[in-house]
Amino acid sequence: MNENIWILMSGDAIAIATTLILAALGALFTERSGVLNLGIEGILLTSAISSFLAADASGSVWLGLIVGSLIGALLASIHAVLSVVFRANQIVAGLALVIFGTGLANFLGKPAEGKTVTTVIKPISFGPLSDIPVIGPIVFGQDIITYLAIALAIVASRYLFSTRPGLELRATGDDPATVDAQGLSVARIRIRYTMIGGSLVGLGGSWLMLAQSAGWHQAATTNGLGWIALALVVFAGWRPMRIIFGAVLFGFTLQLPFTLQAEQITFIPSAFLEMLPYLATLIALIALSRPGSRNLLGAPRALGTPFVRDER
Amino acid sequence: MLRIPFRVVFEQRGETARRLSLLVPLASVLAALFFGALFLLATGYSPIDTYINMFRDGFASFNGITDTLALSTVLICTGISAAFAFQMNLYNIGGEGQLYLGLIGGAWAGIALGDHLPTLLMVPVVLLCGAFAGAAWIFVPAFVRSRLGTSEIVSTLLLTYIGASLIKHVIYTPGSFFRNPNTSFPQGRLVADSASLDSFGSSRLYPTFFVALVIAGALYWVVKRTEFGYRINVIADSPKAAYYAGIHANRTTMWVMLISGALSGLAGAMLIVGPYGKIEPSIITLGYGYAGIVVAALARNNLGLIIVSGILFSGLKVGGNNLQVTTDTPIHIGVMLQGAILLFALGGEAFRRYHIHVVRVHDVSTKKVAA
Repeated sequence: MNENIWILMSGDAIAIATTLILAALGALFTERSGVLNLGIEGILLTSAISSFLAADASGSVWLGLIVGSLIGALLASIHAVLSVVFRANQIVAGLALVIFGTGLANFLGKPAEGKTVTTVIKPISFGPLSDIPVIGPIVFGQDIITYLAIALAIVASRYLFSTRPGLELRATGDDPATVDAQGLSVARIRIRYTMIGGSLVGLGGSWLMLAQSAGWHQAATTNGLGWIALALVVFAGWRPMRIIFGAVLFGFTLQLPFTLQAEQITFIPSAFLEMLPYLATLIALIALSRPGSRNLLGAPRALGTPFVRDER
Repeated sequence: MLRIPFRVVFEQRGETARRLSLLVPLASVLAALFFGALFLLATGYSPIDTYINMFRDGFASFNGITDTLALSTVLICTGISAAFAFQMNLYNIGGEGQLYLGLIGGAWAGIALGDHLPTLLMVPVVLLCGAFAGAAWIFVPAFVRSRLGTSEIVSTLLLTYIGASLIKHVIYTPGSFFRNPNTSFPQGRLVADSASLDSFGSSRLYPTFFVALVIAGALYWVVKRTEFGYRINVIADSPKAAYYAGIHANRTTMWVMLISGALSGLAGAMLIVGPYGKIEPSIITLGYGYAGIVVAALARNNLGLIIVSGILFSGLKVGGNNLQVTTDTPIHIGVMLQGAILLFALGGEAFRRYHIHVVRVHDVSTKKVAA
C-alpha cells in the first residue's frame, strides 16, 4: 500500500474541511442568533464564482477572497431582510436563495467556463518542519486560510461562551424576548450575525474556488458542501470547537473515494463511495437525536421563529 | 453606528382583503421581472426581447402552451408533494430525491413486468410502483422525524444526493438492470410498450396531466373534508391542542410524510410512462423536485392554487429554457428569475399579512404605540 497517498489524503481531507469549517461557522453564527439560513449552498456557489472573476480580472487572490466574502454577506442580507424584517418563512426563503444563487452563479460563470484558476493560494512553507515525514505535509502543508479557519473556530468558541456580545448572541437565539427587554434590538443583532455568517460562508466558497478547484464547474464546484455544512452544525451541537472535529471527519469521507481509486481498490462500487459522506452525515444526524433532544443538542430555542414583540 | 431616523412598523391585518391575496403575488412577479430586467440590461441583454421570447415560448404558441402543460404535470405533483407536508410544518425538501426513486421504481415495473398486461392496467401499476418507491425513500426521514424528532429538512435533503448517486449507478454500471444492453453508450433500458402512453397529437403533452389534476383535487378534498385532513389542520395550528384532543401527532406525521414522498415518486413515474420511457440520467440536473417547493410556496401551500402556480411556473421555465435556442441569453437567467420571483413573493407576503408603514423614530409617542 502506498503510504504517500494516504498522507496526501489526510492533507486533502483537512483542506476540504477548511471550506466546511468556514461554511459551518457561518451557519452557526446565523443560527445562534435564531435565524435559519438554508441558503448556504447558494451563497457558496455565488461567492465562489465571484471570487474567481475578481481574482481573474485583478490577478490578486486576496481581492478574490474579499469580493467572495462581501458577496456572501450581500446574499445573506437578502435572507436577513426577508426573515427578520418581513418575517417570511425562513425555510422557503433559504431555498429561494439557493435557487437564486445557483442561477446567478451559473449566469455569472458563463464566461469562466473552461478557464482555469491561474491565481491560486499556495501552501505556506514552514521550511524543515514541512519535511517531517507524515506529520509535515499534514500539519505544516496547508495554506493560510486553513490555519485561519481553525483559529477562527477557536476564537468563535471563546467569543460565544466567554464574552458579553457572545452571550447576547446566544440569548438572541434562545430567548429573544429577554434580549428585547434588556433594551437591545433583536432585529439588529439577527441581521448583523446573518451577514457575518454569510461573509464566512462566502470566504469558504472563495477559498474552495481559488485553492481547491482547477476551474469553474457550475454546481459541481460545491457539490452539496453547503448542505453538509448545515448538517455539520447540528452534528457539532452548535459548538464551534466540535465543528473542527466534524469537518475533518467529513473531509475524510469526502476524500476517501479518490484515494481508494488511486489505490485501485475497486471492490467497493464508486457510487457507494460517492454516497458515503451524505450517508455518514445522515447516520450521525439520526444517532444524535433522541426524543425531545432538540435542546439537549444545544439548538437555539428560537431557531427559525421570527421575533415579534407583541406576539410573544 | 449609524442611526436610521425611520422605523418600519408592522401592524397585523385583522382580515386579509381578497384583493390583496391576488394583487400581492402578481406584484411580486412583476417586481421580480423588473429586477431581472435591470440585471439583463446591466449584463448587455435586451429585457424586452428576452421577456417577449419567454412569454411566446412559454404560453403564446401551440408548442409553448402544450410543453408548459406537460411540464406542469410533473411540477403540480412535486408541488402538492411539498405543500401537503409544508402545511403541517413538515419540511420535506427532498422531493427531488423521491422523484429520482419514482423514476427507478417506475422503470423497474415497466421493464420487469414486460408486455403481459394491457396498457390500461400496466400504466397504473407503473405509477403505483413509482409512488411506492418515493414513499420508501422518505420512510427513514419520516420514521426518525416522528419518533426522535430528527430534522426532516436535512435528512430528506441528504437522501437526495444519495438518490442522485443511485441514478448514476444504475445507468453507468455495465450490466445494470436499468441500462440498455444494446448500446455501448450508457443509457436507460426502455420500458415495455404497454407501459408507455401516447402523447396528444403532435404535442408533447401526455394524459398524465389529467391524473395530476385529479390527484390535486382529491388531496384538496382530503384536507378540507376528511377526518384525516382535520387532524392535519389541528396539528398544524396547535400541536398542544392536538395532543390534548388525543390526536396521534406521530402517526399523522408519518402518514403525511409518506404521502408527500409518494407524490414526488409519482411525478418521477409519470416521466417514465410519458416522455422518457426509460431512466434519463439528466434528470438529476433538472431540479423538478426543488421547483415543486417554489410552486408550493407561490401557492402559499394552498392545494387548490397549486394547479395555477404550477402552470404559471412551468411556463416561466419552458420560456426560460427556450431562451438559449431563440436568443443567445444564457439559460441560467431563467433559474435566477425563478429564485427572484420566490424571494419577491416571500417579501410581498408581508404586505399581505401586515399593514406596513414608516414612522419617524424621534416621534416617541408613535414609537411606543407602534412597538
